[in-house]
Amino acid sequence: MPEARQFGQTGAASIDFSAGLRITVLALLVVGSIVLAPLLLDTYTTNILIRAFFVAIAAITVDIVWGYCGTLTFGQSAFFGIGVYALAIIFTEYGFGSWQALLGIATAIIAAATVAALTGWLSFYPGSTPLYASIVSLVVPIVLVQILYSGGTFTGSSSGLVGFESFDLEVENWFRLAGLSLAAVATIALIIMRSDTGRLLKALRDNDERCTYLGVDTSRYRIIVLVLTAIVASLAGFGYAAFGGVAAPENASFTFGTRLIIMVALGGRGTIVGAIVGALGIEVASAYLSGSLPYVWELIIGIALIAVILAFPDGLVGAARQLTRGMRPPGRSTTIMLRPIETAAIGGTESGTAIEVKGVGKHFGSLSVLDGVEFTAKRSELLSLVGPNGAGKTTLIRCLSDGRERSAGFVAIGGHAIERLSPNRVVQFGLGRKFQAASIFEALTVAECLRVARTYRARPSLIATSTMLDLPPAAISVVERSGLSERLGEEARHLSHGLKQALELAMVLSLEPEVLLLDEPTAGLTRAERQAFADILTSLTARDRLCILLVEHDLDFVREISSRIIVLHQGRIALDGSVNEVVNSALVREIYTGQQSTTSEAMP
Amino acid sequence: MLTIALDAITTAALLFIISSGLLIVFGVMKIINFAHAAFVTVGAYAALVGARLALPWVLILPLAFATGAACGALTETTIVRRLYRRPLDAILATWGLGTVIGQVITLIFGREVQFVQAPITGTAYFLGIDYSAYRIAMIAAAIIVAVVFTGLLNGTRLGLSTRAVIMNEMLAQGLGVDSARVRLVTFAIGSGLAALSGALITPLSSVDPNMGLPWLISAFMLVMVSGGSLLTLAVSSLVLGGLQVVVSTFVNPILGGLTIAICAAVVLRIRPEGFARA
Amino acid sequence: MTSRAFIASLAFMAATGSALAADPIRIGVPVGLSGANSVVAPSVVQSAELAVEEINAKGGVLGRPLALDVADDGSGAAGAQKAFDALVFQKKVNVLISMETSAARNAGLPIVARGKTPFIYTSFYEGKSCSPYLYVNAWVPEQQVPPIVDYFNKEKKASKYFLIGSDYAFGRGMLAFTKAYIEKTGGKVLGEEYLPMDGSDWTSIISKLKASGADAIITSTAGGAPNVTLTKQLRAAGVSLPYGNLAVDEGTAKSMGADAADIYISASYVTGIDSAANKAFLAAMGKKFGADLKTPNDLSVPEYEGVYAYKAAVEKAGGTDPQKVLAALSEVAVDGPRGTIKMDKQRHAPLTMYLGQVQADGSVKVIQSFSNVDPGAQCPPKS
Repeated sequence: MPEARQFGQTGAASIDFSAGLRITVLALLVVGSIVLAPLLLDTYTTNILIRAFFVAIAAITVDIVWGYCGTLTFGQSAFFGIGVYALAIIFTEYGFGSWQALLGIATAIIAAATVAALTGWLSFYPGSTPLYASIVSLVVPIVLVQILYSGGTFTGSSSGLVGFESFDLEVENWFRLAGLSLAAVATIALIIMRSDTGRLLKALRDNDERCTYLGVDTSRYRIIVLVLTAIVASLAGFGYAAFGGVAAPENASFTFGTRLIIMVALGGRGTIVGAIVGALGIEVASAYLSGSLPYVWELIIGIALIAVILAFPDGLVGAARQLTRGMRPPGRSTTIMLRPIETAAIGGTESGTAIEVKGVGKHFGSLSVLDGVEFTAKRSELLSLVGPNGAGKTTLIRCLSDGRERSAGFVAIGGHAIERLSPNRVVQFGLGRKFQAASIFEALTVAECLRVARTYRARPSLIATSTMLDLPPAAISVVERSGLSERLGEEARHLSHGLKQALELAMVLSLEPEVLLLDEPTAGLTRAERQAFADILTSLTARDRLCILLVEHDLDFVREISSRIIVLHQGRIALDGSVNEVVNSALVREIYTGQQSTTSEAMP
Repeated sequence: MLTIALDAITTAALLFIISSGLLIVFGVMKIINFAHAAFVTVGAYAALVGARLALPWVLILPLAFATGAACGALTETTIVRRLYRRPLDAILATWGLGTVIGQVITLIFGREVQFVQAPITGTAYFLGIDYSAYRIAMIAAAIIVAVVFTGLLNGTRLGLSTRAVIMNEMLAQGLGVDSARVRLVTFAIGSGLAALSGALITPLSSVDPNMGLPWLISAFMLVMVSGGSLLTLAVSSLVLGGLQVVVSTFVNPILGGLTIAICAAVVLRIRPEGFARA
Repeated sequence: MTSRAFIASLAFMAATGSALAADPIRIGVPVGLSGANSVVAPSVVQSAELAVEEINAKGGVLGRPLALDVADDGSGAAGAQKAFDALVFQKKVNVLISMETSAARNAGLPIVARGKTPFIYTSFYEGKSCSPYLYVNAWVPEQQVPPIVDYFNKEKKASKYFLIGSDYAFGRGMLAFTKAYIEKTGGKVLGEEYLPMDGSDWTSIISKLKASGADAIITSTAGGAPNVTLTKQLRAAGVSLPYGNLAVDEGTAKSMGADAADIYISASYVTGIDSAANKAFLAAMGKKFGADLKTPNDLSVPEYEGVYAYKAAVEKAGGTDPQKVLAALSEVAVDGPRGTIKMDKQRHAPLTMYLGQVQADGSVKVIQSFSNVDPGAQCPPKS
């Protein structure tokens, strides 16, 4: 078992203890106040808070889908409404009793899950945009409300359903039930969102493409999140109707859905606590103010929303955190240990074919960007792809990594045909792609980025944040050589350009790829950085036996490290040979000097 | 039969007029303006004020347009300009703006439903049947809007700059096009169109602070399905608007109201460019 | 009324209320300040304000002043829940007196029962709402529909009817009764179409109407916008059949302008009622509100009379004890603009109904009147 190397500040032991104590005290305070409060508050306030608690649960689900996963969803209200109406319809049709209650809960869960699965299938698919997902989330509550309207006496139509018998609890106990449910949901949400899985969700939000190219099926994750949050929202609606005794179409409307978003935006998205603060604040204030100042209150909310979006995107909780920044200890003192994996000898023949390309073409209508591209590459080869701007180099990279991209031809990676598979599947054949502009997760720390990169290989925990990160030796060596090992706790957005490139390379290497595609990796690097990079690439092919395909403009760099060069010109391979052959070729000189080509100042 | 066809065409005309403003904004700026409904309402109230001042309709319509354009220009400079990189946040901020406008209108004019007399009343004998004359006039209005704005886009320098910005903003900037000005003018014109459509629909429905909202979703879906072209919008309006009327008449008016939204969502799923040519 | 005037009148009321030393009796008024009823809500509040002012000027009720608490019920179930909650549990009102949509009323009743608060419902509605806490001083279909249908059958020789409504308890309830009554009197119903309460595009329904060959229309939409949009679109489509509107009030009719001409309404109140009480009422309203006056109508006048009914019941019961007041409400009679009203028929009231025709200038011409129309068996005792 290789020795684990330890990075980051220590002092872990004492911090854990006090953190544990803090959490226990906090939990006791929260539970205690929920249990005792109804004895001190008047009936009216208690009523309002009970309803507010259920709404806050729905707001938490909105925060998870929007704040953490990045989908602006107007539709969580639809799931809330499903829970409301499940209860109301069943209690109206069949009366009240234990089997009716169980049936109601089951219906709420199953209906919400089904609608969410359908919505997710519609919204999240390879190639969908966040805007489209928002559109679908807008349509769902509208459709649901119209269905409710057309339901005649079964759904109560515009009037809704009232008068059904429901659970007979004292108001105080309703308060405790609702409050403790909210606390439970909040706790679970916080634990999950702080865990490695939560980091992965944030990564999905920040850079969906990068996740896809790390082998993560982003659509599947989003759909699962949607289904789970829908179930929670539906149960919140169930509770709301059980207490209130009224089911109205407004409970499922997109206006209510927008209201939930406003609560999360004002409270602070992506914090869970912000959703609670926003929901409770707005519900309570509405109850007290809308009677006396109905119009002015709505005006205030509208203005507050605009102000928050423009000036305080992190909402109230975010602003509070900014203010208390000075009071908290700086940085995140976490211990991260990187441990090299004993990578077994990679299966396959000694000189297996890593990349196989036959007759690949890419057309846009009558415009042909690639035509008849054909070559193979083996393990341990460092193959450079050069050519003037517009020759089709990046397009070729895309065709190699994304099965849906090419118009014609055949591509195989590591012996597997990629057919029409999406990038996350192609990556699973052993491909790693590094983009031109460093594609990382700006909001996560370096260590978290690396952790996310390992998702495909090592499923992230649902509750814990890993302190031990198993990385392949190639990735660890990049981390050490670039100096990232000193900065594991830093947010990636603060890194210099060169370090971001190194981080991306380390992330891609964490996939344990057999084939590496690099798109202009040295653009913007200093001489020293370029040299370090060259060393890394050479050792990757020699020691780890990767097949590397490199798109580059810097011909010196290319000449130094490549074992083979392919020249692409106007979508066709002009030359494919050894360094010497290509460098001395008259054809290449013609191609380059006959054009307005830029060489080492090439910018993406 | 003919009645239904006329219902379909006139509904399509209305949808086209209301959506055209949203399309122009989305095409140039890739931003969905959720305050569009509020601008429609602003136009309706501008028409109300004009009617109270006993202005002729020839003046009321430009008044509505100008009011909307002014609101749009103000919105663009204060709010939208800062959110180009954050399109989803722009949706939220403009929604907030829509709420604010609605409340301000309520505070000024009150919540009551107000009415504006139609400039053209009664029925006209059209193609063999008696049909609402005003609705038929809507068809003419839609055609005029389409012609004027296509003309603007294709025939003027501003139009040329706009098309350049739509295609490739950075390149256009590099060639000296003041893209900030193009965006400002585009947003103003889009908002003006919204207000104009609000003024045009007042004789057919009531004027109240929330009147624009039901149109917002349909307009939004039509714009999404139309990519960036006015012509495609016209086609989508006819197809989906017609479908809406057919479903309303033969099935259920409630389901009819849903037709546009559902069909658009499905079309976009199958073909993300919608009806636009690739 | 504008927000400013509204706040000013609230302040004025607070001042008047606090001038009398004794502990005020609180009247809760949950009403649709926003939503479908926002058109008529201001007139309802004005009626309540006048009644309270008059009563307080004469010494209040049993020496205690009356105070009003108005809350917005959003014209719907969800908003009503909040409004009723606020009034019953926060403001702890002694009574609720108000008009509301049926959706709001149904949502509020459980809260009324929990809070054991008497509720005088001053709105006409579809009937058969029977909470022991609910008293109604406005009409039900048994009182309102027959005049119109009888008139159409006899004078307009109609026999084929088309019914249009808003899809909620009131719309459906009214038209269900209408359909039954039409068929009982030998007519036929060719079509019955509904739009949701917030619907405003009646195009396809109107096309169906024209295709059906009906010779009379009867509509029952939610108040406010749906009434207006339907009428406008009907007129724009050239429909000039006899048009009975079960749910329009004089104020809305007036602002519809020429489009409202020839609509037939059946109401328990029109401003043209020729009685001393009505004339005094109108004069007092004009004096108090001046240019801000909203036309008193069939939804707002019962509010005025409802406040007086409560006063009489409290005086008879000797206090505000809910059970005693509830018992007294069926025994007291109130003289008001609509005549003498006593809610003694299963908590509903016999009323004088007027069949009117809207004129081109928006005023209502009374064609026939019927005294003491019985509400029928709204809440038969369980046998």
